Amino acid sequence: MSKQLDSTDKKPPALLVDDLTVAYNSKPAIWDIDLNVPEGVLMAIVGPNGAGKSTFIKAVLNLIPRAAGTALFYGQAYEQARSLVGYVPQRGSVDWDFPTSVLDVVTMGLYGKLGWFRRPGRQERELALHALDQVSMADFANRQISQLSGGQQQRTFLARALVQDAQIYFMDEPFAAVDAVTERAIVNILRELRERGKTVLVVHHDLQTVKDYFDWVTLLNVEVIASGPTEATFTSENLRKTYGGRVAFLDGGAPVNMAGD
Amino acid sequence: MFGIEMVVIDLLLNFFSREEINTFLRDPQVTATIIGSLIAISGALLGTFLLLRGMSLTSDAISHTVLLGIVVAFIVMTSLLNLEPDLSSPWLIIGAAAAGVATVVLTELIFRSGLVKQDAALGLAFPLLFAVAIILISRFVDDVHLDEDAVMVGEIGVAWADTNSHCLSNCETVTITPDDERAITARRCVNCTAENIYPRDEGAVFEEYCGNCGTYSPAQAWSAGLLETEPILVFWPRSITVTAIMMLLTVGFVVLFYKELKLASFDDALAKALGLRPGVLHYALMVLVSLVAVGAFDAVGSILVVAFFIIPPAAAYLLTDRLSVMLVISAVIGSLGAFFGYDLARGHFLGIIEMDSVLALINRVFGLQLLEQWDSSISASMVLMIFIFFIIAWVLSPKYGLISVAARRANQRRIFDDQVVLGHIFNHQHDESEIMELQADDLYQHFLWSQQKMARVLRRLRTSHLIEIANNIVRLTQRGEESVQHFRQNNLSEHIV
Repeated sequence: MSKQLDSTDKKPPALLVDDLTVAYNSKPAIWDIDLNVPEGVLMAIVGPNGAGKSTFIKAVLNLIPRAAGTALFYGQAYEQARSLVGYVPQRGSVDWDFPTSVLDVVTMGLYGKLGWFRRPGRQERELALHALDQVSMADFANRQISQLSGGQQQRTFLARALVQDAQIYFMDEPFAAVDAVTERAIVNILRELRERGKTVLVVHHDLQTVKDYFDWVTLLNVEVIASGPTEATFTSENLRKTYGGRVAFLDGGAPVNMAGD
Repeated sequence: MFGIEMVVIDLLLNFFSREEINTFLRDPQVTATIIGSLIAISGALLGTFLLLRGMSLTSDAISHTVLLGIVVAFIVMTSLLNLEPDLSSPWLIIGAAAAGVATVVLTELIFRSGLVKQDAALGLAFPLLFAVAIILISRFVDDVHLDEDAVMVGEIGVAWADTNSHCLSNCETVTITPDDERAITARRCVNCTAENIYPRDEGAVFEEYCGNCGTYSPAQAWSAGLLETEPILVFWPRSITVTAIMMLLTVGFVVLFYKELKLASFDDALAKALGLRPGVLHYALMVLVSLVAVGAFDAVGSILVVAFFIIPPAAAYLLTDRLSVMLVISAVIGSLGAFFGYDLARGHFLGIIEMDSVLALINRVFGLQLLEQWDSSISASMVLMIFIFFIIAWVLSPKYGLISVAARRANQRRIFDDQVVLGHIFNHQHDESEIMELQADDLYQHFLWSQQKMARVLRRLRTSHLIEIANNIVRLTQRGEESVQHFRQNNLSEHIV
């Protein structure tokens, strides 16, 4: 993995993970992960339930303790690269009855840039409204968040990540249980991000859409089974290695996750 | 503390006379209400965040375990440092803060073992610390006012009497030494305790000492009759200072870290990812909860403290959708509760009902012999009053109250019934099934509804001109068609695409 770092003329990759291991009570959740994600790709992280997909993201972002390993963002450790990184947690990880508005939640994405003590002002408000507009949620800016549908909640989270204006995004199951409108909105945003040279890592469950939505894929089941361009990596053989016998293949191509969620 | 009080008194003297200040603060109601409100404001602000983080009961646990901090600090002060114990001493405050943090850490450790659930972990940690505190009190601390009564309900009613005296003029301190002519010689037994005998018993050895030696503050000197001219004094209730400092610390903390507290409470993971250190904030919050719990402990007792933390935010939660507004409302509810709670303890309910006459009425109706004089615990009445405000919010809140929720549900049901009928007509009109499906008289049979219900719905739809009935056949009007289309677009479109 250190080969890339040796050549000085080459830019460091968007994400370089080396020997990353996380254990819960000495049982490894992810094991010795090496990963090199080049800049500007839309990458799906797929794998069965309990494969450590969310754990991987949280460990990379230093949200949970690592047993071993490093993660570098454009060649920098997370503490130095914070402003380059955007994070969209799982929708279910927060309390949607919290007394706050949609605009307020989106503005939270700017708290890191504001730093301690400084309050969001008009400029932050403008940025947040613009991000809401990008996910077609501008009309909901002053809504109490408990009044949103699941898809609208997800788009609010997406807007909050957009407003961070990061270089590399980590999204934990943004497509989970959302309506068709939201799914399309997310896909459009993802493509737009890629066009602007951003790198996006998405924990994804729907194997049927991987080829349509993503140009890069990592198959994960505690260990990395395979990682690379979707065309070359998302093969039936690799999928079988990842999911064991739990994947059926329809008309010779599109795999179906039989494990269920 | 003393210096701060002096600054405040100097400030107040610009507006009021000394006599006015003294008379004002000597009124038990005034002092109790001020202290109650200060506690209520601190509790409500911190409680709002506890409530939103699902940690309500942590405040209950901490309000008990601070007792351990107080007792340990007390023992350290009296046995190791030979200091005069005093509930506003920094040692006790440090001890209490440490006990509060210890509660949270211990709970966390037990929970992290993965063998016990979060609520059970709290239930394990806090009785342990509280029990240790009780054992230490009964074993080592027997002659102080840390008695059960104080632990239960506090002493807010007599807080006015525990004062610091500040001298303005004629301030003479008096020191009496053993050679002073005013010194009074007394005798004491030197070996009584050691040999377990009484002074009257044989073998008791005595020594002479000066019984009134020492330094007298102006106030003490005057009351001991050592001064000719009366010093000009202001008496300042100590608890006001302690609780006011807690309140200012709390307000400062919440105002300064509002944004960080909000994010950490809503989305801990993002706060962490953005480098806003939610862990540090969490423990800062717990330290403040402990400090306020100590301040409140003296005034309202450890059991009722939790009410000041949780009930006002719970009421405010029902009244608003914005965190900043919730903080303000909950502080207002808390302090109103303290204000009207004192009145209630003295028998006046919100200035509307006299409790004495309620008791008289009960006696008359049920033939009981209850004492017709309402005089009850102040802290309990304050809590009761805050709870009554909660009930009012719970029933009457325009958005989340019982009444408006019931009304909204009934309305939704009505609208839905209407749309079910409209949708049915929409599906069947203009085709062969029309005659079968849209007979006004037996439409109810298609829905398995009662005849009355269908009649009600049809009447409602006709009066709002959504349907018309001709030859016993129901048809949509232009408006009816639009209503159906609108409903389908809003409620069915997500499934259709």
